[in-house]
Amino acid sequence: MSAAAIGLDAGSTTCKAVAVDAAGRIVARRIEASSPRVDEQAARMIAELQREAGGVPVAATGYGRKRVAAGRTLTEISCHARGAFALTGAPGVLIDMGGQDTKIIEIGERGAVVDFAMNDKCAAGTGRFLEVILGRLEVPFAQVAQLRAQAQRAVSISSTCTVFAESEVISLLAAGEPVAGIVRGLHASLASRVAALCRRRPAGGVLMSGGVALNAAMVAALADALGCAVRVVPEPQLVGALGAALSALA
Amino acid sequence: MRLVHIQQQRQLHGRRALAVLPVHYPKELLTAFNVLAVEMWGPPGPPRGEDAGRLQPYVCAVARNALAFLASGGADAVDGVLFPHTCDSLQGLATLVPDFGGWTRAAFVFQHARDAGRPSARAFALAELRSLARGLEAWTGRTLTDERLLWALRLHEEIDACRAALLDGRKNSSLGDRELYRLLRRGEWLWPEAHLAELRAARAAMAAEPVQRGLPVLVTGYVPEPPALLDALERAGLTIAADDYAAIGRRVVRWRGAGDPWPWLAQRMLSHPPCPTQSADQGARMRWLQELAQRSGARGVIVHVQKFCEPELFDVPAIRRALPLPSLVLEGELEAELPAQAVTRIEAFAEMLRAGARAA
Amino acid sequence: MTLRRIEYELAGCAGPWLLRLQEWQKARARAHRPRKPGPFGPPLECTRKLKELMSLHYLQGRYADGAVPVAWVTSGFPVELLRPLGFHTLYPENHAAMCGVQRLTTGLSEAIEREGWSRDLCSYARTDLGCVATGRTPAGRLPRPDLLACCTNICQTVLFWYRALAAHFGVPLVVIDTPFVYGELKPHQLQYVRDQLEEAVAVAEKVAGRKLERGELAEVTRLSKEGARLWGDCLAMGKSRPAPWTGFDGFFHMAPIVALRGSEECNAYYRTLLDELRERARRGIGGIRDEKHRLLWDNLPIWFAVRELSTLLAERGFNFACTSYTNAWAEAGANVDPADPIGSAARAYTHIILNQDLRNRLSILQRLARDYACDGAVLHSDRSCKPYSIGQVDLRERLAHELGIHVLLLEADHNDPRAWSAEAAETRLSAFMESFA
Repeated sequence: MSAAAIGLDAGSTTCKAVAVDAAGRIVARRIEASSPRVDEQAARMIAELQREAGGVPVAATGYGRKRVAAGRTLTEISCHARGAFALTGAPGVLIDMGGQDTKIIEIGERGAVVDFAMNDKCAAGTGRFLEVILGRLEVPFAQVAQLRAQAQRAVSISSTCTVFAESEVISLLAAGEPVAGIVRGLHASLASRVAALCRRRPAGGVLMSGGVALNAAMVAALADALGCAVRVVPEPQLVGALGAALSALA
Repeated sequence: MRLVHIQQQRQLHGRRALAVLPVHYPKELLTAFNVLAVEMWGPPGPPRGEDAGRLQPYVCAVARNALAFLASGGADAVDGVLFPHTCDSLQGLATLVPDFGGWTRAAFVFQHARDAGRPSARAFALAELRSLARGLEAWTGRTLTDERLLWALRLHEEIDACRAALLDGRKNSSLGDRELYRLLRRGEWLWPEAHLAELRAARAAMAAEPVQRGLPVLVTGYVPEPPALLDALERAGLTIAADDYAAIGRRVVRWRGAGDPWPWLAQRMLSHPPCPTQSADQGARMRWLQELAQRSGARGVIVHVQKFCEPELFDVPAIRRALPLPSLVLEGELEAELPAQAVTRIEAFAEMLRAGARAA
Repeated sequence: MTLRRIEYELAGCAGPWLLRLQEWQKARARAHRPRKPGPFGPPLECTRKLKELMSLHYLQGRYADGAVPVAWVTSGFPVELLRPLGFHTLYPENHAAMCGVQRLTTGLSEAIEREGWSRDLCSYARTDLGCVATGRTPAGRLPRPDLLACCTNICQTVLFWYRALAAHFGVPLVVIDTPFVYGELKPHQLQYVRDQLEEAVAVAEKVAGRKLERGELAEVTRLSKEGARLWGDCLAMGKSRPAPWTGFDGFFHMAPIVALRGSEECNAYYRTLLDELRERARRGIGGIRDEKHRLLWDNLPIWFAVRELSTLLAERGFNFACTSYTNAWAEAGANVDPADPIGSAARAYTHIILNQDLRNRLSILQRLARDYACDGAVLHSDRSCKPYSIGQVDLRERLAHELGIHVLLLEADHNDPRAWSAEAAETRLSAFMESFA
């Protein structure tokens, strides 16, 4: 393998590590559910990649970045901007939706961060919102996109709080509202909260990354809420780790 | 430390202590009456005790923490409380506590003259000061003479001059942000003459040459709490170059008076930098911030508001529009510890500024 | 007269006919739908007139800017100063309530949250600022203000809100800053309000381009006083058993005394309403069919859930016989005096319920509960109205203890449905109602 740098993104839900070559392309990747013992997990994942890479610079980002033995640490905001820019080659707006936070990053020329907004204090604006309620509805992830598309209309979910929304959904089901409509409403609800953070909506559309970007229903709902196209970056969960690796490369 | 000082002031100098809620109040008047002002900008941390639940969670932490503190006996070292009529939350606190329980000792209210440019406001400022003075006379048993008031005015003008010098000339100060703020915030409870002595010493220690610091930022907001915030800024490579905190820079009066002490005192009350709690002219505040940013060479602005604080929050969009700089909005709840989310935001902001600086 | 002015006047004349046509069309459509028997008594006939009155006001508003001077005014502002100067007045709070009822606040607020406006700010302000930013309004179009007029008697927040509006529109802002009454108002504080009123007149005169004729001011003051008395008489009908209307009806019929105070239209409306209420009381017709319990409501209404809540309560025989909010508008205006318009306005507007201490608040709630024979109370803990909500935890206990009645503290918001959990509220209200058994 021709690895030249390693980047690690110690997120609160998943821990991601990538190795990149000198041109900045991903040559190896790892994703695991986050362990509370961040330092051990990070060290192990880095070591695995280093075994193949042979001792290259490491940079860490994410929630647990300070617990990682790395040459450099950077916030996930800078890393996501850098990673997204490397994948698209153009400035733009990136919406990163993870399990426990949502970031909106305005990326400028050369991948610099122009502005950013975060929702990391309230679960209702993050992937956790969907996880909790879809779990309660017993809707498997594989069916979500199809259900949303099927719905005649979105059943309005007014609660801003995940806990309240959960009980609201139970009541709606009891009142006979269709699951498809509720699924659509849930996505619309989350999308509107995210859109409220998103100041700039370029005509060309926005980018999306993070675990939630794998949910096609969410991508569609976000496009509706923003009124512009939403393009999911390739390997959306790895953007942060990629950005970190690119920083280590520099 | 604060407690010891309050007790010493009483024992050695017969000075009573008055706890004062934020933001603006006639400290000069209290000094003239030989009363020690002990400002209550917290305490930080979640409100504790039975009375913590008497204010709903959507009332700001300033009011909630103050209520819990007063009602639990935390302020029993002081002899009375002064509530400036700053905003809706403090307006409510000032009736809740004396009327429905939580404080049985003396309680004073001071009402501000808003939209100070008007003749009615200036006349009211003077009248309200005289009214408070009468209340303090009755409470302390002292008569206030013009000479005494003049003395207090001059003392506080000196203090403001030193504070202004330290804030404006911070590039030349060997004190880091944390030390500087610690020094300035001691003024919230020290007897003014003691505070002036400390300020003079710090001023004398200022270097002739600028000291190398991090990237300069302008900070506007309520209060620099928790102190760990200042450490986070330093570690992220940022330095506060201009201060518009309600607790600090926004109360530094740079205007000098003379003559009749009462109009002088009233004018001082109306001469601090524009504050949303009192001014009807948002444009004036924005121009002040623009000037501050320019003078200080700030590369970014941090808006550090407290959750639910209307006067600060209503100005946030205007601040972002008015200043041609990257901005970061940090929202706190008077936490005792700085949350990790805030640290990440600060670091991301610093990374953003540095990348911008390199590109420039 | 300019063309614009002609349009404005025409809208005033033709308006009622247009609206009547609309109403007739709607009534025809309704006639084809069978009416379900519900827990409410027959609807008030007057409601149709109310809708007409307010719709006409907003319709005329569309043509107001450029025709007559336009002022955006806070609900507690002494509007008597502006009426004789020919201002068309718009009340952003009233307009925001209209948006709230139609559940438009979420969209309007989201539109401005992107610009950095906090969701924790007053939901009336966010609704209004959202309208200003997007131009979206159920009233079709709002006239641009030439003057902004705010009075801090209802809250200090209006100062922060209106100064933002002033910066946006670039027009003068008059502030009547009323010192809060702790115990008793001091003479110099009253003088401050009087002085501010005179200063406000000078600014308003400049904007309107004419002088305030003191005789006209006295006349408008007289109309205000009469309007407040009529409104008070309407509210007092709630003392009958059963109360001839619901407390929530009161929230809607309050619009004229807030937004049209000091006008003959306002007073004429309340005379009509009063007649109808008297007739209903005479015939024993209740706002709800089966009145078992009478409640007091404190704080603003939950505009977006008025119907649901009203129904939930009516089904179990609960009616709101009185509210501290609707009552405030009867008390404020009662104290103005045509013989001393400025002086009496200074006193009256400074002593409204929200500008006085909690001891006064408690005594008002106690008095209302007694006068209207309430056996329970609901205190709406309004997330975005701190001046009204601070102290409610204590008020709840004291009311319950001193009057021996059931008191519920209900968490919600007056305009933002996102701060509301219908399920949680329903559960709490149901449990509350069951506790009366």
